[in-house]
Amino acid sequence: MTLPGWLRSWEAMLAVALVVEIAVLGMISPAFLNIENLLFSTSDFAHVIIAAVGLTLVVITGGIDISGVSVMGLASIVMGLAFVAGAPIGLAVAVALATGLGAGAFNGVVVARTDVNPLVITLATLFLFSGIATGLPTLLDLLGFKAYGAGGFEAYQYEGITGLPKSFTWLGTGSIGWVPLPLIVTVMVALAGGALLSRTRFGRFLYFIGVSADVARFTGVPVRRTLILVYAFNGLCAAIAGLVLTAYFTSARSDLGSEALLNIITAVVLGGTSIQGGSGSVLGTFLAGLVLGYLRQGLLALGITSDVVPVIIGALLVGSVALKIGSAALAMNRANRNALETGRRAVEETVARP
Amino acid sequence: MMRILKSREFLVLVLLGVMILGVATVNRAVLYPITLINILNSSIFLILLAIGQMFVILTRGIDVSVGAIAGIAAVIFGFALNGGVPLPLAMLAAMLTGVLAGAVNAVGVVLVGIPPIIMTLSTLGIFRGLMRVLTGGSWIEQVPQSIKAMSVTRVLSVPILVWATAAVIIVAAILLARIKAARSFYAVGDNREGAYLLGLNVAGTEFAAYALSGLFAGMAAIVFVAQIGFVPMQTGQGQELKAIAAVVLGGVSLMGGTGNIWSAVIGALFLTTVDSMMIFLHVPGSWNNAVAGAVLLAVVVADYLIRRTVRNRQLVLRAAELRRADADAALGREVAP
Repeated sequence: MTLPGWLRSWEAMLAVALVVEIAVLGMISPAFLNIENLLFSTSDFAHVIIAAVGLTLVVITGGIDISGVSVMGLASIVMGLAFVAGAPIGLAVAVALATGLGAGAFNGVVVARTDVNPLVITLATLFLFSGIATGLPTLLDLLGFKAYGAGGFEAYQYEGITGLPKSFTWLGTGSIGWVPLPLIVTVMVALAGGALLSRTRFGRFLYFIGVSADVARFTGVPVRRTLILVYAFNGLCAAIAGLVLTAYFTSARSDLGSEALLNIITAVVLGGTSIQGGSGSVLGTFLAGLVLGYLRQGLLALGITSDVVPVIIGALLVGSVALKIGSAALAMNRANRNALETGRRAVEETVARP
Repeated sequence: MMRILKSREFLVLVLLGVMILGVATVNRAVLYPITLINILNSSIFLILLAIGQMFVILTRGIDVSVGAIAGIAAVIFGFALNGGVPLPLAMLAAMLTGVLAGAVNAVGVVLVGIPPIIMTLSTLGIFRGLMRVLTGGSWIEQVPQSIKAMSVTRVLSVPILVWATAAVIIVAAILLARIKAARSFYAVGDNREGAYLLGLNVAGTEFAAYALSGLFAGMAAIVFVAQIGFVPMQTGQGQELKAIAAVVLGGVSLMGGTGNIWSAVIGALFLTTVDSMMIFLHVPGSWNNAVAGAVLLAVVVADYLIRRTVRNRQLVLRAAELRRADADAALGREVAP
């Protein structure tokens, strides 16, 4: 049985898995199949896909950035503080995006200029950024600046900075026609990431660095600049994810997104990106994000408690990677056997000839 | 002696001393013995997690599930105690749970070949989910209060849990330094293929590392329950990252093959002390993470800069030597004919 190449790709398998999953969940609980429900439930996990798109590009270079979850909270709280300080909402959003970009670029500079493992660097900045995010409001308050918004400290502790204008929360709760805005933002980010990866020289460099950073450098690829840019892009994606989540919850909080790490990395890896770098695609991450998100929604709709969901997602991640390893081993086996057969036939032909 | 002075553990230990003395200039209360004992007491949970983590990182792996393992071991410990199991057996059950959970990681990483970060990230979700499933999402509150005696009883005004942890640390350090088989951890982490060719049991070593990580997480769970007297759902949450940070801070390389027990102990001690120092400086606790992150970043970057400087100097010396040899040879040719 041979299928055309594009159908045998990991992305095609994910697309099939997505359709099957929705169909099965729909059969068990017909309410799930409602188009409006399918579209609007993406708002619950749009932030995971947005952050995962940025991370995909980083992982393709053979790196990793686990600080994105902290950047989400940092961008959220920076936006809220800027708004409370009286900045127009557009400016507040711009400041938050710049913060994300800067935080990502900071990771990138340290990764590019030292030989320290990216996991260690972004582990440090995971603490650093989340610490700044939780500490910033207290610091500003200490300086005599009313950082907690209208409700004061008590209200801030419970609900974050609220009272954000409708024009902003529309980003998380509004829709154009049938399509909710978080989904539109997600698709736009995914298209941008996908275009960067497959339509630009920068994107080819990312794969090259992932295969071998040394060879890339000797070939004249600006490895350092490329790494800084890709971590900055990841920071920007995380900031966008944080803002979308802020708009969806209609409040700016420093701890937004902190539980998303498992889901984000699962989306990237389930999407077919190798954690060792050198291969992967944004489409895969996007589809894997949908598969994961709908799985969660579906399980909850079936009455499975949210406690069991991480167990299933974890098992899925292990299972998918084990499957890939297993199928790769089988393919290698088959290739070896074929080579052996070809060789033996060639020998037999030579022997048979007089 | 010189080697100890140059080591990363020593550097961090000096930093730790400087930090405590620096804070003491602002607030003398830091130097009261009771303060220092309390810091020790509150750091043993992280120390145990970090030691377990160290074994895995030595073999060039990583285990981000240790916090979740501690959580599930704490739940089993709580169940056992509430079920009337005697304390020693309950402790055994907690440690066994840890070993089993570590073995699950090992099966995925060693037998299937799943990258460690993926495997343990998955089990992080799985163990944490199972923990909630087992308890129905509610805290285990009615733990017999006799267990708290372990953390309240003091010998020489130091809680016996601290003494017990110290004993575990020393035994582990001696075993790691003196037992021949323990060197496999270093060999496998430094050069996996080389270790295999030497006939070392690579798979067994990696398996042991993850199981040990689970075992220490189980011990950490016992400490945790003894110290707070109940089992909240947040047990160990976020501690996996703290444990990795502690180990790396103490000088264990994620590239495998370098580090020892003291790295883990000192790194964990440092991170816990940072939290306590914030209190004495009247800095709001919300800044703890920022300081811990900044310190970790500064130490690893400084370490890189030092290594680079040393390497560059060696290269310069070597180049000068080669040039001299060249010049000598040229001189020799001129004289010889």
